[in-house]
Amino acid sequence: MRWLSTFVSIGLVSVGAWAQQTSPATYDAEHKVKFQGAVTRIDWTNPRAYIFVNVKDSAGLVENWAVEIGNPLELEKSGWKGNALKIGDTVSVEGAPARGQSKRTLAASVTRNGARLFVVANRPVGPAAAAVPRWPDGHVRLGPEPGKKGYWGAASAGVLIQSSAGAVAMSKDGVLANLADADKVAPFLPWAKSVYEYRQRSLLKDDPILRCLPPGGPRQFQTANGFQFVEQPELGRILVLLGGGDRNWRVIYTDGRPLAQGDDLVLAYYGTSVGHWEGQDKLGKDTLVVESVGFNERFWMSAGGLPHTEALKLTERFSRPDFNTLKYEVTVNDPRTYSKPWSGGWTVRWVADEDMQEYFCEENSEATFLR
Amino acid sequence: MRKRIWLGVVVAAIALAQQGHPLTGTWSGDWGPSGTERHQVTLVMNWDGKNVTGLMNPGPDSIPISSVFVDVTNWTVRIEADAKDKTHISAEGRLEDLGSYHRFIAGKWSQGAMKGDFKITRD
Repeated sequence: MRWLSTFVSIGLVSVGAWAQQTSPATYDAEHKVKFQGAVTRIDWTNPRAYIFVNVKDSAGLVENWAVEIGNPLELEKSGWKGNALKIGDTVSVEGAPARGQSKRTLAASVTRNGARLFVVANRPVGPAAAAVPRWPDGHVRLGPEPGKKGYWGAASAGVLIQSSAGAVAMSKDGVLANLADADKVAPFLPWAKSVYEYRQRSLLKDDPILRCLPPGGPRQFQTANGFQFVEQPELGRILVLLGGGDRNWRVIYTDGRPLAQGDDLVLAYYGTSVGHWEGQDKLGKDTLVVESVGFNERFWMSAGGLPHTEALKLTERFSRPDFNTLKYEVTVNDPRTYSKPWSGGWTVRWVADEDMQEYFCEENSEATFLR
Repeated sequence: MRKRIWLGVVVAAIALAQQGHPLTGTWSGDWGPSGTERHQVTLVMNWDGKNVTGLMNPGPDSIPISSVFVDVTNWTVRIEADAKDKTHISAEGRLEDLGSYHRFIAGKWSQGAMKGDFKITRD
């Protein structure tokens, strides 16, 4: 609780809000289930915690429901433990049901004797008035200051859409409220629009991230577990440590080497990247510009199902307009998928005084739950 | 034990799914005039941003695919080539199971005067 005295906590969010990636093909957010029953099992396992509840139906038959209650590490940061409930406790549950016949729900609330359980607090942010940290040469620090902890957490947007699109109604998973808005999302070539629409119609059921594949491209900065920059100017590189996607990392070379091309490319989820600093405020350079190529075609570069090909080139711009905010802008250039280059972006909040949590997707993941 | 091995193969296939242009990749299957007379075929196709190009039966007996027509509104695909014996090959079908790694194309096939059907699956 020490952080409460130094940092600001902004309200509370409900059960499930910090949960790992789930698919709209798994849970039906348009419907609700509500039931009461006795707890039969507590599965306090990263990255998803479940409680199992015996529920008696109107005919007196007992069914065992799996209730997804969130990420246990996030729950523990908010003071919850697996022993907050005991086997045999009676709980009331409201949530989104799983599609199909599965007795499973993503909880919106779990209560016992009228008291809500497993409510997750928002992550602490740094002091609002703090100056943006700098390196001795004046350029902005994207990681924590020496002796401090912190990482970049929640993104302001869960999907990438072109910045010229304006407001496009969609779920947080990237499912459009109106499929006719697909043209607003990106300047698709006809084949790509057709694939995008297919993925939308099938509620993103084929999303590779649900099979624990890495969140390549811009999506790496939209995962629930955040990311961290480790700047190593003496080595001419910046490591990006990714909390999502099995704690992967990515290297941005800042030593002036050219961007790899042709046979030098080994296609990868995070591509190959070179970066340099641009912009100039009164203290120093303030924007890291990163160019990346060499992407494989095994991932969706954003929730919602944006396709791409091996011709994809990304230009990313990272800046830190204030201590607690990272501004991320990306230009997507893939002439085999999109009719012209297009740009989008979001901001990301700083999580002060904490390290990224451990996260291994395979453990208790969507795929393993179904085995 | 055999079941476990197959499960491993399936998991590996999921893990390597290609998510780019649905026709890009290697396809294998067969075609022929009847259920008993079939000819194995391998197609390697690639989307270059304007057209789908490719090879039929890569190796010493390969022939170039002369054209691939795709209607992306319903994923109808027509593949054409000229065999070494100068007969014209045409295979027209529908791409099914678009989101799956093991998507497939099935439909009508002809080569010269022979007619029949075909099915090719993404490797």
